[in-house]
Amino acid sequence: MRLVVYNGSPRMQGSNSRILIQHFLDGYARFTGDSAAVAMIGKQGEREKHLELFRQSDHVIIVFPLYTDCMPGIVKAFFEELFELDHSERKHIGFIVQSGFPEAVQSVYVARYLEKLCTRLNAEYSGTVIRGGVEGLQMMPSWMTKRLLRKFEQLGEHYARTGAFSALLRAELARPFTLSPLRKLIVRLMAATGAANFYWNSRLKQHGAFGKRFARPFSRGPENGPTAADTSESSDT
Amino acid sequence: MRLTILDGAPPGTGTAWSRYLNDFTAVCRREHAADLFHLATMDLRYCRGCWNCWWTTPGECVINDEADTVLRSVINADLVVFASPLIAGFTSSLLKKVTDRLIVLVHPYIELRNGESHHMKRYERYPDFGVLLQKEACTDDDDVRIVSDIYDRLAVNFHSRVRFVRFREETTVGELRHAACGI
Ligand SMILES: Cc1cc2nc3c(=O)[nH]c(=O)nc-3n(C[C@H](O)[C@H](O)[C@H](O)COP(=O)(O)O)c2cc1C
Repeated sequence: MRLVVYNGSPRMQGSNSRILIQHFLDGYARFTGDSAAVAMIGKQGEREKHLELFRQSDHVIIVFPLYTDCMPGIVKAFFEELFELDHSERKHIGFIVQSGFPEAVQSVYVARYLEKLCTRLNAEYSGTVIRGGVEGLQMMPSWMTKRLLRKFEQLGEHYARTGAFSALLRAELARPFTLSPLRKLIVRLMAATGAANFYWNSRLKQHGAFGKRFARPFSRGPENGPTAADTSESSDT
Repeated sequence: MRLTILDGAPPGTGTAWSRYLNDFTAVCRREHAADLFHLATMDLRYCRGCWNCWWTTPGECVINDEADTVLRSVINADLVVFASPLIAGFTSSLLKKVTDRLIVLVHPYIELRNGESHHMKRYERYPDFGVLLQKEACTDDDDVRIVSDIYDRLAVNFHSRVRFVRFREETTVGELRHAACGI
């Protein structure tokens, strides 16, 4: 198997995606001697290299964080480049989408797009692994993340063995799909006590910005009047 | 009413598209205020996911480019039109680049809405959304549903609603104006 894994996070080295990929590949390497290539989509000046890796591989996995309910802009730009390539050679393409919000349902809409994209690229769709609640990954103590990271290792190992994502692991990782009544209650309680905002508040305080947390810098004050922005020259009336 | 039109067409899209948007903007301006942004001609960078806009300079992005002009217009509009030809089944990366930057307009705190996690408002009110597309040779009904559903999701996160999804080649400028301005 010639596998390439793309990291579509704009955070690149500092990303949660990188950690998940690393564990996936640890598991992958445990089963096969084949090495897998890893590429950062966001890295400037590497476009040709990324496209060449795509051409050379028969298995492709694209990992990205959910950004405004879809793929990040850099990932969409990459898709546009892939779309321009010659697709006579059929590849297996799969995706791992991880998000800040805990429920997997947030990512199923973009997953429908990803499946359709594979048809456009004349590729075999290997499916989309969805994982919610990943934002705090790097702040959590290791006992909290151990099980999740272990699952990504198993996912990689299974992929090395079968060339596909494990349906069982995919289902497990996508939990919770929606919030259970109990979980909703917990979220409400945490919101009411302020515990839900702990992560953001501690960072706001750390940066001396807590007092400004409700700032509205773009509010149109009475002095501002209507904006007249127009970057076109021809459409002024 | 106030409109913000985000033209996400990449260079080389063709004159039919730009003429249509210019005409649409012009008819809207007869009675309304309308900002038209040709994103391809602006200095706009990709979001880096640094969260400075949420915890260092709340509500403001640290990237020094022309996004502020767009953001100010968006949050003060009654309707934002996301306009782009479909490319590989979705709106352009140029438009997505700006859509990612909209994150500064909401608050990091999370609340439950429709039983799901979503971000709290930063501003008192948010504009409605409209979507203007142009088909590719391969566009089918499924693509239209996928794109519409994703914009519906985006609207939920931005305390908004999608008022219309239209195709340039199937909608006259007058019809689009009606959908956008209701007259
Ligand atoms: C601009 C931006 C938009 C985001 N939009 C969403 C979203 O719509 N839904 C969601 O659940 N998380 C969203 N997130 C959170 C990321 O998906 C989450 O933090 C992820 O773990 C980041 O992964 P990374 O470190 O690999 O980039 C967004 C983050 C950023 C910076």
